[in-house]
Parts: sequence; structure tokens; C-alpha cells
Amino acid sequence: MTHRSSLARRLGTLAVLGLAACTGQESGRDDAPYPSGRLQWTIPFGPGGGNDRMARTLIEIIDQYELYPAAIEPSNRVGGSGAQGWGWIFARRGDPYQITTISGSFLTLPFQAGVPWSPADFTPVALLASDDAVVVVAADAPLTTFEAFLATARDRPVAIGGVGALNSDVLTLQGLARQAGFTLRYVSFNGFGALSSALLSGAVEVVVTSPGEAIGLLQAGTIRAIGYAGDAPPSWMAEVPTFETLGYGDVVVSMPRGVVLAPGVGPEAQAWWVETMRRVAETPEWADYLETAGLRREEVYGDAFGEALGELERVFRTAFEEGR
Amino acid sequence: MEILVPLMNGFAVALTPLNLAYLLAGVLMGTLVGILPGLGPTAGIAILLPATLHVEPVTAIVMLAAIYYGAMYGATITAILINTPGVPAVVASTFDGHPLARKGRAGAALVMQAVASFVGGMTGLVLLVLIAPFATVFATRFGPPEFFVLSAAGMIAMGAILGADRRSGVLSALLGFALATIGLDVGSGQPRFTFGSADLLAGVPFVPLAIGVFGVGEVLHAIRGQNEAGPGPGSEASLSRVNVPTSAEWAESRPAMLRGSAIGFVIGVVPGVGATLASLIAYGVEKARSASPERFGDGAMAGLAAPEAANNAAASGAMVPLLMLGVPGSAATAVLLGAFLTWGLLPGPLLMTENPDFAWGLIASMVLGNLALLTVSLVAVPAFSAIARIPFGLVAPIVIVLCVVGAAASTGGAFGIIVMWAGGLLGYAMKRFGFSTPALIIAFVLAPLAEDSLRQTLVISGGSPTIFLDRPVALVLGVLTLIAVARGPIRASSSKGPP
Repeated sequence: MTHRSSLARRLGTLAVLGLAACTGQESGRDDAPYPSGRLQWTIPFGPGGGNDRMARTLIEIIDQYELYPAAIEPSNRVGGSGAQGWGWIFARRGDPYQITTISGSFLTLPFQAGVPWSPADFTPVALLASDDAVVVVAADAPLTTFEAFLATARDRPVAIGGVGALNSDVLTLQGLARQAGFTLRYVSFNGFGALSSALLSGAVEVVVTSPGEAIGLLQAGTIRAIGYAGDAPPSWMAEVPTFETLGYGDVVVSMPRGVVLAPGVGPEAQAWWVETMRRVAETPEWADYLETAGLRREEVYGDAFGEALGELERVFRTAFEEGR
Repeated sequence: MEILVPLMNGFAVALTPLNLAYLLAGVLMGTLVGILPGLGPTAGIAILLPATLHVEPVTAIVMLAAIYYGAMYGATITAILINTPGVPAVVASTFDGHPLARKGRAGAALVMQAVASFVGGMTGLVLLVLIAPFATVFATRFGPPEFFVLSAAGMIAMGAILGADRRSGVLSALLGFALATIGLDVGSGQPRFTFGSADLLAGVPFVPLAIGVFGVGEVLHAIRGQNEAGPGPGSEASLSRVNVPTSAEWAESRPAMLRGSAIGFVIGVVPGVGATLASLIAYGVEKARSASPERFGDGAMAGLAAPEAANNAAASGAMVPLLMLGVPGSAATAVLLGAFLTWGLLPGPLLMTENPDFAWGLIASMVLGNLALLTVSLVAVPAFSAIARIPFGLVAPIVIVLCVVGAAASTGGAFGIIVMWAGGLLGYAMKRFGFSTPALIIAFVLAPLAEDSLRQTLVISGGSPTIFLDRPVALVLGVLTLIAVARGPIRASSSKGPP
């Protein structure tokens, strides 16, 4: 096995070089006041998606108000519904310069894909918003109202599309199907591009997505929103009925959008970020972002956020097991 | 024609000194990002996105789009010279591009790729201007059933590259399919064949696999060739050979380019399928039409011209769903779409009417960008073809270093390097024992598209295959594909022999 050991040695050398390169980048030292070093912001999804837009908005606001004294370096570590990015952060235990933005799959990956971490491992900073699903149909589709959709779905299978196989949208749909009494025929897509073309082509009749993804097609009138899962829709689709008014308020599972640090980060760094995120959340720029992205403001900070994450994970896990 | 008025306004927008400067910067950076395997256009755009926040959206999109199509030009150069495709869309360009370089005709191949890319890009833009509204209607006819039929057509076209031994070729493709099943399954959300590795949840990454199988595999194979059989590839280049395409080659390439452009634009318009499938189908069509298909895979100029025209035409075609529907057709255009939002522009059907300067400025800038790329590419041909004449002993280590850096950059760590070496050994073994590495990589790219769309289709229809007959576009595409099959399978004996 000489070949293998020499490969292992070479890889070892590379790893050492890599580590040296990483530590070389960090100017922050243990004795320096926090924060003083370059911050690495891991975005576990591709550029242009919901998580990416939120992370980049936060970074922009932090820069604009000069809240962080050193450079912030965003990197998209994409793959496995976020498993790649959060796994990367998980491996940087105790490093206060590693931060990431969370999405729904942060809660579902541990029981869905058996990743070695759970949300409770990370250092909680802030829940900033809830991403509530919107139910849309093509503008020329015969199903023009939520009631018509439910009535048809009870009558015959209706193909409903969404992004991903297990997330808050699917859990909401499963609850809706149970309560309204129809059989769910859910089709999972890779991203909004394929999903929206499937809807426009008539291959799926109904789509569940984030308001922030659908805003362009909605405002052009190419697609129509027939139901919104949150309690108050964004002003640009104020006329859309909520699940609450439709009588299905308790089936809604919201997708949390927030920020966590690497596992095992000390209370000083955690407190610094809680304070900073509070200030970010007060800015008019953040309010603008929430409005256009169709996000609902929901703020929970520090350890209370950690507890909320634990509670949400239980909700997701229960819904997942019921849905099987 | 009334369409010329907004286009002229577009040129007025694109020709301001600032926009022109950003355009040229984007073109050069795109070429560079394409030449160095690893980063790719998507990462290139994402990295430069923050740099565009302080200029007008038009200026920003002009530069970012230039990176996108510039990378197509650049990636082909690497694909031709060292057989290392950094983006899936140029895999088909290695089939004949690299054999040409090995025969000492790198210069001719580079001239052809520059011209074919230009023709493809420009034809795509002309079609974009003329028939965009109609193309939008076409783009909104594509759901999972149509995607599946298209990917099936891609697999038929794959018949053109199976290699001399059809059985080995099919086995190579099956291995590619198998590799593609690794990772988180979109349909069920369950991990498949990841063996507990968090890195593998995202699947085997394309870039390190492709540069391993092609680039490293080629170098390893050439080392062996040198030791056993005298001079290996790269060293047989002779200065006396004609280093521009011959008039016979121009003659066979001209119709190939036009067909490639048309195929590329049409497939590029379909959101989510894009340049890879376009270039592959264009290659398959050219080989099937050729009077001497046995030259394909052994340095046929038409086999380079067709996929090159197709992938650049597809880059233009991809602007149709992006600008007119707000639907991104590829990872790179998804980043552009995200950028629209960052700049405060609402992507979607209203973009063209509410921001005509933006949309038409972009289209006009792409015309100028393609001109710039043609010039840059032709000027750089002597320099790049000189690389092909460097002795193999000097080139090989440089290629390996480039591959390692590219693999590490693409995944941000050692995982990519591991995949690259594994791919390199696999590529070497496959070449050594007569298997087809192109079939492996193409199958690897097509498999997720085919699998996802077939499963989505069957969920939608409740398991009934008659859905393919119910949907007119799927039916027509399916019938066309079947006709292509019936008109005679692409001859198995016609592909390249051992190098």
C-alpha cells in the first residue's frame, strides 16, 4: 500500500498548507478585543437565492453603518441543500469569525440526511424573519381561487410543485392536505427556474414558493397568488387571502431566517453579534428588504433564539414523521 | 423596422465610455476565468457582483454578462489545448478540438473556435432581437415531460461519441449515470451512496471530476505513451503544418456553424437545459450528417465548429427567459437574476417594457462583446498555439498544477483535489482499456436532468407514461427524436481510434 500512504502524505501536506493559509488570513488574535479579525460569512446556497440575498443584504447594511471594524468575506459554499455550508461552519468549533445564515433545511437536514450536527450545536445569534409560503397559479389557469383549488384537489389529483423535497412549504402542504381532505401530489424541483417554467407550461397546476421569488412574475400578472401562509401579506400583494382567513391558519409551518455562529463560540462574541443584529434590524434598509423579499419580521435573539430553534426542530421532526 | 429603434438606443447606452470600459473588463476577465479551469462563469459573476453595486445597473449587467459569455470563449481554449473542459458546455469541443491540437493544428483549431463562437453568439443575438416574443411562448411550453424528451435526445446524440467499441462506450456512459446518482436525491430528499460523507451530499462535483478525467487522465496516459511508444501527444507538433483552417475545412464548417447556431439558440431558450445539451446535440447532428463521420473524434473541423457555435448561441438564447420571463436558465443566469434584485430591478415580464435601456443596452453590449472576443481570440492565437508546441515534459507539470488549483478553487478545499485525482486515475484507466471518457462525462451531466424530469413527470401523471402524448411539445420533440433514431444509428465504427 505504498501508493496509498504516499497519497495520504501528500494530502496531509496539502491540508497543512491549507490550514496555514487559513490562519494566515485571520488577523484576529485571542488577546485582541472582539471583533478585530476578518469575518467569514458562509452562504450555504447559490448566489441569487433567498439565503444569499439575505446574507448579502445584512453584509451591505453592516458595511454601510460601519458596524463591523474589519473586512467581511462572503463565500457561497453550495451543495446538499445547505449541508455543505453548515457542515463547513460546524467544523470550525470555537472560531468567533465564522458566521452563517440559516434556512428551512437547517432544521430538516439532521433527521432527513443524517448530517453529524443539529441546530442546537451552533451558537445562536438572531432569528430575524419568517419566510411564509405563497400559493400561486398561472394567470390563465382555471383554478382562480384557493377554494377552487381545494375543491378540485378533492375531486382529482392536482400536481403541486415546490423547491425541495422536505422544507416548511412541504410540511404546510401536508397539513393542508390532511385538514382539507385531499391527497397531496407534490412534485419537487431543484430551483425556482425549473419550478416556474413547469407552472407556466401547465405541467404543474399549483406552485408553493417564497413571495420574494415570485414577485416579478406576480407583478407582471403572469401568475396569480391565491393564498398566503403568513398572517399579513406584504403590501404589494395585500389583496391575497391568508391561510388564517381561509380557515387553515394552524397548518402553517414557517421557514425561519436568521443568523448563527460556529459551535462553541464564547458569550462575548455572541453578545456582540446579538447587539449588532438588533441594530441592523432597526435600519430602514432592513425594513425595505423585508418588504421586497416578502419576509415577515420576527425577531428572537441570543439563547432565546436557540430555544426557539429547538422548538422548531421538534415541529419539523413531528411533521416529517406524520407525513411519512 | 420598429425593432431597430430600441436596438439603436441600446447601442447608444452600450457605447458610453464607462459602459465600454466595463464591457472590455468583463470580456477579458471572462476569458481568463474560462481559461483557468475551476472558477467558471458562475463563480466569476458571483465574486465580481459586489464590485458592481456602485455603478448603474446597465453598466453592471454589461460586465457580468460579458464574463458569462467570455468564459465560453476562454474555456474552449483550455479544452482544445490541454483537453480540460472547465465548464460542461465545452466538453463537446474537446472531441475534435483536442485531436486537432495533438496533430499540431492548435492554431487552426483556435481560429475556428473563435470564428464559430462569434458566428454562434451573433446569430443567437440576431434571433434574440427578431423572435424574442415568439421564443418566449416557446420557452413557456417546457415542463418536466419536455425536459425529459430533450435529455433523451441528448442521450441519442451521445451515440456519436461512444467510441470505437460500442459496448465499452455504453459501459462508460452507465458509469457516468452511476456517479451522477451520488448525493442528496431531489425527489425524496434522501442521501444516496454518500456513505456518511457530508461532502458527497452535494454529489460528485463536475469541475474536479471533468478536469481529473480529461486533464489529469490525458497527462497520465501521455506519460505512459511517451515511455512505451516514443513521442507522446504534444511533441509531434510540427511547425511546417498549415496553422489556419484550410479552405476545405472552412467549407465544411460554414454550414456546421449555422446549424449549430440554430440548435444552440433554440435549446438555449429552454430554461434550465442550456449550452451543454445544445453543443452535444449540435455535435451529434453534424456527425450524423457528415459524409465522412469517421473523421469525427480525430480532428474534424466541423466537429469543433458546430458545438462552439451552439454553446455561444445558447448563451444568447438564455437571455430570452432571463429578460422576458425572469426565469433563469442556468446557474450563471440565476446569479444574474439575483443581481437584478440587488440593483433594485424587478426581473420578470415587465423588465423589457419598464427598463428598455437596461435590456436593449445589454443586448447591444453583447454584440460589441462578441466582436471584442473575436478580436482578442484571433490576436491571442499565436501565443496560445505556441503553448501546444512546448515539449510535453514541460507542459505536463503545468497542466497538473492548473488542474489541482482549479479543483481546489471549485470546491473550496481538499475534497475537490481528492475527486480530481480519483477522476484522473479513472480517466487514465479508461483510456488505457479503450473506454470512452467523453461518454462518461456527458452521461454524468445528462443523468440528473433526465432522472429528475422523468420522476417529476411520473409524479405529475400519477405514474402514467401517456402524459408524453398529451403534451404537444413533448410529442413533437419525441417524434423528431425517434425519426433521428430511425434514419440510421450513428455508425459505431466511425469514431476515433487509439491516439
